[in-house]
Amino acid sequence: MKVVVIFKWCRNPQDALVGASGNVDWPGVKMSANDDDPAVMDIAKVLAGDDEIVALTIGDGDIAWAAARGAASTVVVTDALTDVNSTATGAVLAAAIKRIEDVGVVIIGDSAWDYGIVSAFVGQLGWPAMAAVTSAELDQGSLHVTCKMGGVSHVLEIKTPVVLAVMATQTEQSEPSMKQVLMARKKPVEKITIADLGFSPNFAEVTSLRTRFPDTPPAILYDGADPASACKQLMAALHNDGVL
Amino acid sequence: MNMNSLMIITDQRRVGGMLNAVKALGGPITAAVVGPRSLADTVSAWGFERVLCLEPAQGVPAEAYSAQVAEVAAAIAPRLLLASDAASSRMLLAAAAAKLNANVIGAVRALSVDGDAIVISRSTADDKVLEDIEAAGSVAGIFSGADVDVITTQPVSVEQIAADSSTNMRLIGVVESEGGNGMLTAARVVGVGAGLAAKDDLKLIEELAAAARAEIGCSLPVCEDLRWLSEHRVIGSSHSQVSPELYIALGISGQPQHMTGVRDAKIVVAINNDPEARVFKFCNYGIIGDLYKIVPALISAFKNMNG
Repeated sequence: MKVVVIFKWCRNPQDALVGASGNVDWPGVKMSANDDDPAVMDIAKVLAGDDEIVALTIGDGDIAWAAARGAASTVVVTDALTDVNSTATGAVLAAAIKRIEDVGVVIIGDSAWDYGIVSAFVGQLGWPAMAAVTSAELDQGSLHVTCKMGGVSHVLEIKTPVVLAVMATQTEQSEPSMKQVLMARKKPVEKITIADLGFSPNFAEVTSLRTRFPDTPPAILYDGADPASACKQLMAALHNDGVL
Repeated sequence: MNMNSLMIITDQRRVGGMLNAVKALGGPITAAVVGPRSLADTVSAWGFERVLCLEPAQGVPAEAYSAQVAEVAAAIAPRLLLASDAASSRMLLAAAAAKLNANVIGAVRALSVDGDAIVISRSTADDKVLEDIEAAGSVAGIFSGADVDVITTQPVSVEQIAADSSTNMRLIGVVESEGGNGMLTAARVVGVGAGLAAKDDLKLIEELAAAARAEIGCSLPVCEDLRWLSEHRVIGSSHSQVSPELYIALGISGQPQHMTGVRDAKIVVAINNDPEARVFKFCNYGIIGDLYKIVPALISAFKNMNG
């Protein structure tokens, strides 16, 4: 069973530059690994065992990122970028997965950077899917997946093929060494374009009209130089809000 | 122009906020509840035109019914499909959106109509701005806006949908959070971040929590890097998401991972000595100052209030 990981499918929203009028710009910002991508690789290695991990990415990020963490090869759709239309990005990812043979599990970060892309991808691929996955293992050929559900975790037995949207519960524990990074650059990379995927999107256009600052008022800030006075003002405000 | 909407519901979280947003479109709103009948009965008095209920079989997760929910969506053919950002809701929306050839848009905060088009306001650029997006066709939105209280009305009858018996996933175990998790239902939560200088200083935080009658939570680094508090205390997108009346962030910088976990708090107070800390952009009230001086004053204020 082949395991496919999807990595660097979005830009980091924290890298966006917001102008004084609320306009947004992304000067030189490339696709970036999100907080969940290292956990994606960890789970992929558990599930793949001796089988190979294929990595899939889009756009202009570091292609060797997943290879340095254990992927045997990488496919990159070079001209696909995330934009206002999450469905287009999801459709590109799904079409790229369908080109790869014998895939049992696809793993993607369940990242709040853009939940829209994750859902669009899952829908376009049409496979069963679970989100908020924190771990997974193969137990005598059965796939057991643990998902966070509020204050508890559910352990599920799931038949393949399946998409697992993984949520990291810790930061990356061991980054690859320089040797692993250099070796990763020698691993196979297949560069393709959207045209190679041979699909035609049939969903309506969406258009970004404008970006603007939210109407919510800014925080009321108190100077803590006089702690007693600051706390007195705060408590009065909280009383007015009815939360005390 | 037909502006009918279908809302996928797996729990009560954000349903009030979603209803509030969808009402701006003016069309009929149907609820597709994938969960216990009791949830559908509750929702039936919230002003929906129709309420459908697909009750999962024992030990089968809601996500197992994605294809069936997609068929329901196809039969209703809504212009707008909406679900909360809960994991199971997003997976159900995924299949239905594909069935409808709908454009999926995340981080939806508000909706409006402009002629025949739906205009979706979504949060973007790290929640700094809203982006207004015009969609000509069907839209599937993932709502992450604020929840609001619902005004109950005369209940409509719940239409039960027989759950498909074939399933590709089943529940084989439930793991309870270590030490329980009172934060999830607490009216007040005090969150501590890496701005605390030493583990012994947690006593000060415990004193504040006792005075404020609050539960204690923390940011991820306090658990993962400093190991001062256990994992079940971590508040954030990948851990506990809390919805207290009052959340007090102490020495927390305000990273997105953490602030997502308190998005449903009614009031957020931040105390931090860095006036540029990100947390001050996402709170209702802030005190700029040394938490070691502010917290004792706050303890006194709560004690005075409690008499």
